[in-house]
Amino acid sequence: MKKFPFAAGVLSLSLLVTAGCGNDKTTGEKTDTAGGKVVVDIFQGKVEIADQLKALTEQYTKEHPEVTFNLQTVGGGADGASALKAKFASGSAPDIFTIEGYQSTLTWKDKLEDLSDQPWVKDAYESALKPTTLDGKIYGQPANLEGYGFAYNKELFKKAGITELPKTMAQLEEAAKKLKAAGITPFSVGYAEWWVLGNHGLNIAFATQKDPDAFIQGLNAGTSKIEGNEQFKKYLGLLDLTVKYGNANPLTTDYNTQVTLFASGEAAMIQQGNWIQPMLDKLQPNMDVGFIPMPLSDDPATADKLAVDVPNSWVVHNGAPDADKKAAKDFLNWLVTSEAGKKAMVEDFKYIPAFKTIEAKESDIGPLGAELVKYSKEGKTFSWQFAKYPDGAGQQFGATLQTYVSEKASEEETLKALDATWVKLKK
Amino acid sequence: MENKYTGKLFILEIAAILIGLVFLVPFYYVVSNSLKSFSEILMNTSALPSVLQFQNYVNAFQQMDYLKVFMNSLMITVASNILIVVFCSMAAYMLVRTKKKISNIIFMTFVAAMVIPFQSIMIPLVKVAGNFGLLNSIWGLVFMYLGFGSGMAIFLYHGFMKGIPVELEEAAIIDGCTPFGVFWRIVFPLLKPITVTIVILNSLWIWNDFLLPMLVLQDPELRTIPLATFFFFGQYTKQWDLALAALVISIIPLLIFFFSMQKHIIKGITSGSIK
Amino acid sequence: MNNQSKLENVNVTTLKNEKHAKASEAAALLKQRKLKKAGLFALFVGPAFLAFALIVLIPFFTGMYYAFTDWNGVTGNVKWVGLDNFTYLFTEDKQFQASFWLTLRYTVVAIILTNAVGFGLALLVTRMLKTRNILRTVFFLPNLIGGLLLGFIWQFIFIKGFASVGQLTGLSFFQLPWLGDEKTAFWGIVIVSVWQGAGYIMLIYTAALQNVPQELLEAAKIDGANRWQTLRHITLPMVAPAVTVCLFLTISSSFKIFDVNLSLTNGGPFKATEMLALNIYTEAFVNNRYGLGEAKALVFFIVVALITVIQVTYTKRKEIES
Repeated sequence: MKKFPFAAGVLSLSLLVTAGCGNDKTTGEKTDTAGGKVVVDIFQGKVEIADQLKALTEQYTKEHPEVTFNLQTVGGGADGASALKAKFASGSAPDIFTIEGYQSTLTWKDKLEDLSDQPWVKDAYESALKPTTLDGKIYGQPANLEGYGFAYNKELFKKAGITELPKTMAQLEEAAKKLKAAGITPFSVGYAEWWVLGNHGLNIAFATQKDPDAFIQGLNAGTSKIEGNEQFKKYLGLLDLTVKYGNANPLTTDYNTQVTLFASGEAAMIQQGNWIQPMLDKLQPNMDVGFIPMPLSDDPATADKLAVDVPNSWVVHNGAPDADKKAAKDFLNWLVTSEAGKKAMVEDFKYIPAFKTIEAKESDIGPLGAELVKYSKEGKTFSWQFAKYPDGAGQQFGATLQTYVSEKASEEETLKALDATWVKLKK
Repeated sequence: MENKYTGKLFILEIAAILIGLVFLVPFYYVVSNSLKSFSEILMNTSALPSVLQFQNYVNAFQQMDYLKVFMNSLMITVASNILIVVFCSMAAYMLVRTKKKISNIIFMTFVAAMVIPFQSIMIPLVKVAGNFGLLNSIWGLVFMYLGFGSGMAIFLYHGFMKGIPVELEEAAIIDGCTPFGVFWRIVFPLLKPITVTIVILNSLWIWNDFLLPMLVLQDPELRTIPLATFFFFGQYTKQWDLALAALVISIIPLLIFFFSMQKHIIKGITSGSIK
Repeated sequence: MNNQSKLENVNVTTLKNEKHAKASEAAALLKQRKLKKAGLFALFVGPAFLAFALIVLIPFFTGMYYAFTDWNGVTGNVKWVGLDNFTYLFTEDKQFQASFWLTLRYTVVAIILTNAVGFGLALLVTRMLKTRNILRTVFFLPNLIGGLLLGFIWQFIFIKGFASVGQLTGLSFFQLPWLGDEKTAFWGIVIVSVWQGAGYIMLIYTAALQNVPQELLEAAKIDGANRWQTLRHITLPMVAPAVTVCLFLTISSSFKIFDVNLSLTNGGPFKATEMLALNIYTEAFVNNRYGLGEAKALVFFIVVALITVIQVTYTKRKEIES
């Protein structure tokens, strides 16, 4: 017992010493570039590709022994953005990380390296560069493409006798009626998730404006309004339609339940994107599925479009040491130009590439991915305007639309509340 | 309290068992679903598994690198507990025995800080931690747990310490004990019940903590059990089959620990005879 | 260390024995003793306080500085805006005010239920039940699961489990749209936190109850007191210190509720269950208005600190009275 204070003293001393070592180590990592060796820190939030990306970085190290990687992937359930901010605050910022683009490009622009001169820029789809383009400079490498609409079950459509795919709002209601008559729930609605409503749903109204950018600028300047705008009224109409012909308890149906309803064949349509493919493969392998648009009008020419855009882009931290920056850029270039990188992107990551030079097969990206590629090639897409919302507005929009779905707010109140949110959160 | 097992007690026992069963319902969900395939979890959540999928456990064990993350969690939890118990019992002792204004102020500061929401200090915290080199090291994390755990531990020790008569210590001083001797030989053993309680509460918190290790530990080699478990949760798809199996194998060590500790609480309290 | 202890010995013995020493000598000794006492104080309190100051206090005060700025959490631009954030909170931010009342309501409900259930369970497991050891573990079991996972698991139960029970039994309680409207989402959070918190509180009450001398209870029985009177007049006053501790713990944990809130309802539906900690988090990290988030945190801290200080002083006084 008498040794205890002594032990405690040693303990705290050793604590200080190890703490000191920890410090040396972190700074050491940044300076060991002098010997020609570089450690590139990558921070990303997609656990689905964590192992595959690690394998890819190891392959790169084999080809370029002087470059090694420190890959950190943050698991879901927590907000990756706050962890990233914490990293910057602590002075251990990663060299490569991901951002969503548009509004977040603006938020992070102080920290981003200009990538306009990179060789891969010419290979990317022009629209895929938009999210990270600011004042004519390109700050990010699009990681992949994702898209959504109404995914539908081809078998159930056949069963209900729907021969022609609905492309307009009127046709959609027609199809819903037929499905219902055949004893099938037309829509699987998961409005417990704010992003299904506030981001993906409401986006349709933003994206189908005559000039979405001008409309959003107008909202920021106070010259345009959501209330009284035709597209938003129509979107609420579409929302009514899905609720009317949807499963019970839309507000307690979360993403898991929503996809399960669709995969089990209880419901014929679902407002989701190609990201449900892995879950469908697990729940109902070889399910025959495709996309139909989320129509806001009765003109098939304008309505038949899917919302396709870049969910995340790779960016390089401009405050990193030059050697790190160079290595980071080289790696990103290798990722989309080398055979190994291209192959991993479609076969291992199962990504829909955002590059003209990378071909994706249906066997890799699934039927939903293939349909998106088809729509993209025909130019029948619109972009994800929700990435241009003021920070946090998507959540608030989701909440407002949930109120609407629960019939606690009228159409007019809802539209007014959407306007109020924009005014409140714009900077 | 009662000397014989009466009929009334029997009814009470039945009632207690029923309440206990209600408490166990979520564990039924955890355990039964951890043995189902992914699609069965989502399609038949409440039912018993049709085929027992022990493979979930094997996969979870391998994919999260269980032995490694277990050792990391264990080391962090044990070291943090030792530091918290040693330093906080000492601090609480001095704060109780020194009847000065400063003691009261320090004590109130510790207590008041317990209501600070962690989310509001995490950014400045990593800033400070970065400056002092506490990041990306298990010892840095342990030091942080000492900081965060001190409020609660001192609060509990402080309350308990007041019940210990000063006379015992005075006698020891006359016998030639040093202040350290007095504390470690006379006072600390009397604190056993509350120490056990503090260790249990801290272990639960530290073992399951997700946010702080996520912010502090960057090296995948240092990953703790909760960090590894959350790897089964993607942006859209949550791999419940693996996550629930991971949850079960991460709870079991805690359960064993609690079983072995709870005897000490009861024993400590009855034999300690503190008044 | 050895030298020091010798000094202390000499010091103590001299003080004890030479009561009639000269006044000046005594004064010098007294001064020396005081210094030594201060040193000892620092040695005992120092390590814990150092860690606490570095990890909690300094970040807390740094954070408070941002409450007076418009920092977004990322860029280098930090502009001092004075009290603007606070004016905004109290005049314009309806969501903050709603979250505040919601959290107050929740805290009151959660404190009462958690303590009542916890105390009830403690009474149960201190009776001579055959299964008391198992039961104690069972009641404590919920604490073994971390907060975030707990919310996800309960989501399963509320959405899927309750629905199947509802179908089987036809009981309307299970057929409510659980988590789908304000009321059920609020009570959902309450249920989960009481389920988890009661076992924790039970542990502390159990320890206190075991400490009530058997003789007192026997004496009361002989005097003809019934069970309720014994509980009210003997048991409760004897466990008063535990009540102080448990009240404090439940108050601070209820006010700070975050994990369960985030994972069970994420503030929904329609932000009806967004409690304060989640509101602060959303403001700082989702809305990217870090300064505003810190301003909220400061207001939150002051209110909760006041409440807990009042509670601790009040119940401590009660303890002494009884």
